[in-house]
Amino acid sequence: MASSDSDDGIYTERTALVPAPSYRPNDTPTTRNRVNAPRGGASAADGRVLEAEEEEEELTLKYGAKHVIMLFVPVTLCMAVVVATIKSVSFYSEKSDQQLIYTPFTENTASVGRRLLNSVLNSLVMTSVIVIMTVFLVLLYKYRCYKFIHGWLIVSSLMLLFMFSFMYLGEVFKTYNVAVDIPTVLVLVWNFGAVGMICIHWKGPLALQQLYLILISALMALVFIKYLPEWSAWVILGAVSIYDLLAVLCPKGPLRMLVETAQERNEPIFPALIYSSAMAWTVGMATPSDTQRSDTVCLHLVIRRKRVSVCVFIVCVCGGEAVCVYLLYVCVCVCACVGGVKLGLGDFIFYSVLVGKASVTADWNTTLACFIAILIGLCVTLVLLAVWRKALPALPLSVTFGLVFYFSTDFLVRPFMDSLSDHQFYI
Amino acid sequence: MNLERLPNEEKLGLCRKYYLIGFAFLPFLWLVNVVWFFQEAFIKPAYSEQLQIKSYVKRSALGLLVWVTVLTTWITIFQRFRAEWGEVGDYISFTIPLGTP
Repeated sequence: MASSDSDDGIYTERTALVPAPSYRPNDTPTTRNRVNAPRGGASAADGRVLEAEEEEEELTLKYGAKHVIMLFVPVTLCMAVVVATIKSVSFYSEKSDQQLIYTPFTENTASVGRRLLNSVLNSLVMTSVIVIMTVFLVLLYKYRCYKFIHGWLIVSSLMLLFMFSFMYLGEVFKTYNVAVDIPTVLVLVWNFGAVGMICIHWKGPLALQQLYLILISALMALVFIKYLPEWSAWVILGAVSIYDLLAVLCPKGPLRMLVETAQERNEPIFPALIYSSAMAWTVGMATPSDTQRSDTVCLHLVIRRKRVSVCVFIVCVCGGEAVCVYLLYVCVCVCACVGGVKLGLGDFIFYSVLVGKASVTADWNTTLACFIAILIGLCVTLVLLAVWRKALPALPLSVTFGLVFYFSTDFLVRPFMDSLSDHQFYI
Repeated sequence: MNLERLPNEEKLGLCRKYYLIGFAFLPFLWLVNVVWFFQEAFIKPAYSEQLQIKSYVKRSALGLLVWVTVLTTWITIFQRFRAEWGEVGDYISFTIPLGTP
């Protein structure tokens, strides 16, 4: 969803209670040096004062390539975890009769038309739930109910880290047919969950925090793959990307309003539920007096210190033997800031859902094609981010490419390749 | 978060908190403590708080070792003798393998 840079780092720094150095204009050469440092001694790091605009161009373009690559790694990792689980643990690819209450229409109907209609209705229900939750969140943020939001975030990450990982562990043990005793399982889940909470919501090594975010995204994606009906999943993917596009780019979109409110207040929002690719050695939070300085470099940096972590929580209850609480993080903005690039967890989740569904229902050709498509989409989105320099939705392009590649590979390329190999005709 | 940006007292405070919280049955946290502060404690040139950080890292490592030993022993015993324990074995099992051994 959102790629942003420094904010994430600053955000995690915030929880470290470290007074970030406030920006001073006479620090400009140093700051620029520090910012340029991760790019391996870029030419601007010699302390010369360049024109502010040139400087900004350089910063933007130079960080683009490196951070695109830095985002490829976690996205790939998340998808790899999801696909590996689906291929080995059959639980997540088995059809179940339980459905989330957010997809109330069943797909076990006789006619194709009815099934299509039901899946469209399911996606409408799901999207409207997401819209309502987003608006609710924006209202909470606007009226400064930070404690509520914090509590909500903590409860949801508790659920993800403990309940879903417990389920996951149980299924993995059943798949490999090992006997495990309850005390060991309790120790394992307790350790995983508690350290996760500490890393995500308090202070912890950056690498571990990133790993945990990847893992919880993968867990969430697996839950979706299991409990969303076949056709509904594809339609939901399409609908959520359209919603993403509208919410972030339209003037009255909730996420855009959130971004703007955050910009106005120039303050950090929630605990890091966005993935950050860079360490935070960026400019610290500006004090109000700094923002009024006429120094253009300072202004540019301040403007770009947007914080765009938007998380929509949807608590879903599934009927059946257990009450499961599903939480959906839908972070739907891409934002570029000095220092690194951030991507929201919702994006990880939906990318992994796409690739995971492809690996459930189709063969490896299709899975790899979807994977490549998503990476291409991510690349293009980040290039656009570098050019436009404002919050952008990360879902639409990737999901569009992914869907196009999935359906074309599944219906066109695969039969073609199969009949080629049947006739022993190599191209 | 980056340890480099923290002042030394805060590093010590963090190391100490990780060590203390690890007593809540969290050997994994002790592992994280050891790995994260290893460079600070043993490789960096000496500074005033380093001695205490070193001691916390060593104690965390010791606690981790104890936990690993206990867990390994218990798991070995359980795997070896689970079938012979009959009902008690089933009662404390989370997953019971299917099929014949």
